[in-house]
Amino acid sequence: MAGHVARTVAQYLLVLFAAISLNFALPRLAPGDAVDYLLPPEQAGSLTPEQRTQVLSQFGLDEPLATQFGDYLSGLARGDLLFSVRYGRPVTELLAERVGWSALLVGGAVLLSTVIGAVLGFRSAWRRGTSRDAGTLTGVMLVDSLPPFFVGMVLILVFSVQLDLFPIFGALPTVDTSGPALVGEVIRRSVLPLVTLTLAYIGPVYLVARSALVSELQEDYVLMAEAKGLSDRQVRRHAERNALLPLSTVTLIGLGALVGGAAVVETVFSYPGLGRLIYEAVLARDYAVLQGAFLLLAIGVIVANFVNDLLYPLLDPRVRRPRAATA
Amino acid sequence: MRGRATGWAIGVVLALACTLVAPEASAQESAQSAQRLRVAIHSYENNLTPFTLTLTTFPVTADMVMLVYDSLFYSQASEDPEPWLAESASVSDDARTWTVTLREGVTWHDGRPLTAEDVAFSFDYYQQQAGSSGRYAHHVFDVPALDRSEVVDQRTIRFHFKDPAPQFDIMPGADLPIIPKHAWQGVTEPSKATSELPVGSGPYKLVEMVSDQRYRLVANEAYFKGRPTVDEIEMPVVKDPAAAFAALRTGEVGFVTRNVPSELVGQFGGSSGVAVAAATKFESTQLNFNARKSPWNSAAVRKAISLGTDTQALVDTVLLGRGRPGRDGFLHPDSPWAMPNGRHELDRAEAERLLDEAGYADRDADGVRRAADGSRLELSVLVSSFEPQDLRAVQLMSQQLEPLGVRVAPEALDPVSLRQRRQAPPGQVPGFDAYMSTLETHAHVDPDGLYYFFHSPGPKGFGGVITGWGNPRFDQLTEQAAVSGKDERKPMLHEAQEILAEEAPAIVFWYRSGEWAYRPDAYSGWVPDPGQGILGKRSFLPEYVRARSVATGAGEGSAGEAPGDAGGGGVGPALAIGAVVVLGLVGATVARRRRVEPDDE
Repeated sequence: MAGHVARTVAQYLLVLFAAISLNFALPRLAPGDAVDYLLPPEQAGSLTPEQRTQVLSQFGLDEPLATQFGDYLSGLARGDLLFSVRYGRPVTELLAERVGWSALLVGGAVLLSTVIGAVLGFRSAWRRGTSRDAGTLTGVMLVDSLPPFFVGMVLILVFSVQLDLFPIFGALPTVDTSGPALVGEVIRRSVLPLVTLTLAYIGPVYLVARSALVSELQEDYVLMAEAKGLSDRQVRRHAERNALLPLSTVTLIGLGALVGGAAVVETVFSYPGLGRLIYEAVLARDYAVLQGAFLLLAIGVIVANFVNDLLYPLLDPRVRRPRAATA
Repeated sequence: MRGRATGWAIGVVLALACTLVAPEASAQESAQSAQRLRVAIHSYENNLTPFTLTLTTFPVTADMVMLVYDSLFYSQASEDPEPWLAESASVSDDARTWTVTLREGVTWHDGRPLTAEDVAFSFDYYQQQAGSSGRYAHHVFDVPALDRSEVVDQRTIRFHFKDPAPQFDIMPGADLPIIPKHAWQGVTEPSKATSELPVGSGPYKLVEMVSDQRYRLVANEAYFKGRPTVDEIEMPVVKDPAAAFAALRTGEVGFVTRNVPSELVGQFGGSSGVAVAAATKFESTQLNFNARKSPWNSAAVRKAISLGTDTQALVDTVLLGRGRPGRDGFLHPDSPWAMPNGRHELDRAEAERLLDEAGYADRDADGVRRAADGSRLELSVLVSSFEPQDLRAVQLMSQQLEPLGVRVAPEALDPVSLRQRRQAPPGQVPGFDAYMSTLETHAHVDPDGLYYFFHSPGPKGFGGVITGWGNPRFDQLTEQAAVSGKDERKPMLHEAQEILAEEAPAIVFWYRSGEWAYRPDAYSGWVPDPGQGILGKRSFLPEYVRARSVATGAGEGSAGEAPGDAGGGGVGPALAIGAVVVLGLVGATVARRRRVEPDDE
């Protein structure tokens, strides 16, 4: 077990290093001068060659590549990312402000959609081919095909405008509140975006869960279990446990895309998450923010998968010890 | 295509937003003062100092900067601005020296007195920070160029100019925010000084900012124009327009800083609890030629295209009539400097004649004119993908010009790419044909606006900046006008506009009408300020609110006439029924298919 962990850790450190290096290399590989990335375009366009050289040396970009990479790594180690042109603030600060809201929103939505999607998917698979399965499938596909911003607007119309249950925008209350009232208000404000995002994520989870269980149900051990007279519930529990495996992998691999993909919902509800920060950084060509955000996401995905790798043996005894499976 | 589909969906949602709401029998009370007003803004620009604003930021934050800061005079849109921080001002006979006496007892938000030192420091600082002060500073060193400022005593300051500066009171006097010396004197990189709360002298103090989420401003109770009418203004950032107007419906906010979309104006008013006030900013949406690139360097070709463009049709179709058609002299018709009787000339026969004369003929009967060398007369127009109305306008223009044998094609780009495409290394001509842009009030009311935007590219690279066009007579007129008093200046500027009309370096499509939605029960003291819109300091100062409040004044007209939701009430239920029918059909089909197959449960 310890050997396995050590090997996994080493593998992930390698991947992490690759991600960091890529993050360093990408802006330098892109066409155009680094100055175009560091200054707002209006300013960059009007610089004389001497001023360009000056800007480059100011950012240490006239050094050899190896020195630059060394500086970049030591900067990272100090938690020192670049300076955002648009906000006039260090990128680290901006990311720190947003990451909590993203974790609340995307994390919550991933959790909810996985649970709901899995429950629905397993139910459909168990009753595959029936009208109930078809009904659920149609319903889930219908919801999945609606663009999230549209779902968000409809939720706003029904629950905020018509029923006046939830506020329309923002993560923080506009009026001064503190203590438990603040927590309650933050939760209340997260409900609609959370529901919207959950609805948007359910589709893929549902499909994976359904097809995973369908294929498990065709396995010999299920036939065996049925043959020895286990109740439906017991059979289902055996099969479902195995069908959970692909689900966890699919969810964690897609985590980065989910954070970025939340931008639309964050815009509709004016929620200050990472997705919106990235989206606006793209529009403003705020490369420092983009670089920082991508690094954060890459690290997030790598860590999530690392955790998944460590948890996998607990879920699936077959990968726990290769010897055990063959013995 | 995707963009259009999204546009439709947004339209449907907006329509739904307004029809689903049951018309409440709101007590039509209106509030001339309020403890707390919530204003939905659509952009966040750091700490609202004059240095966080660049030429490309959202005008709404420029409005907010002027709630926090004051200028010597107010407003830039008037040809006779009111003394503001200044109590009085006098100008020397040669117009090279201005002596300004400040009001007594004005203090900064932190309680320190505002003195002539601060005013002198402000002008010097803008001058030093030429590179990073974007929107404002160039007025200190371009036209009219300030030589030096001199502090006479605590309340008196004298400005010395290199050239006569007869309109200093308007520009930069009524435009430049005065900043406190004690807060800025050590700051070397003002555009990076974005984390401290600003210290101003204006009617509102910024007391809280949460990045991309909200601002909170509280009234400056010691304000020299009287205690502001609203004690606290909260400004949450609401990015999505549909969400912002839905929040206005529910009363979550009392005002939205976006112009009401044309399709929504009819839904407000009546019993909706939301009123609409008209307060137009002087904005022009226009097509700018690259006048340095062939064939657009030919005045005849540009004028022909202008003659073939029906700006009234653009307003009717694209803006649904909510704007005024563009005029050939560029300046907004309500600008004090606009030429009288300006209009847009529409004459297709004349356009044909000009193109024939310029040597463009349909040589191979494919419906497109070609030059003698065989090149087709095709105009590619760069349009920001964020401005769907500009895109529609160019498409419509393309239809209008097709019979003339001119091909027009819009090219949609994100705003930053658009700016990059407009640039070329020094000494080279950029490759684009034309681009769409919207110039805000400042361009139309600056007495030297024509100089800035259309003077030949000068040694500083400013002037001619939007088209690269140049005309010696125009240059001469605007240079003379810059040093002339109001009465001599006007005829010169009028003649300069005639030249613009004749040579058409730009075609103004329209001047949009400003219409702003607000809840009278939250706050109704809004004062339409010509050229400035409605979110200005006058809307919160008792003397102006009393003198002209939109609740009783002319501004209500547009709101009062707006039909209620009587006609649209059936759409919500109809849609719901439609959805149920569709779902029912799907369910029925599925059920039938299942019934044919043996149930395997």
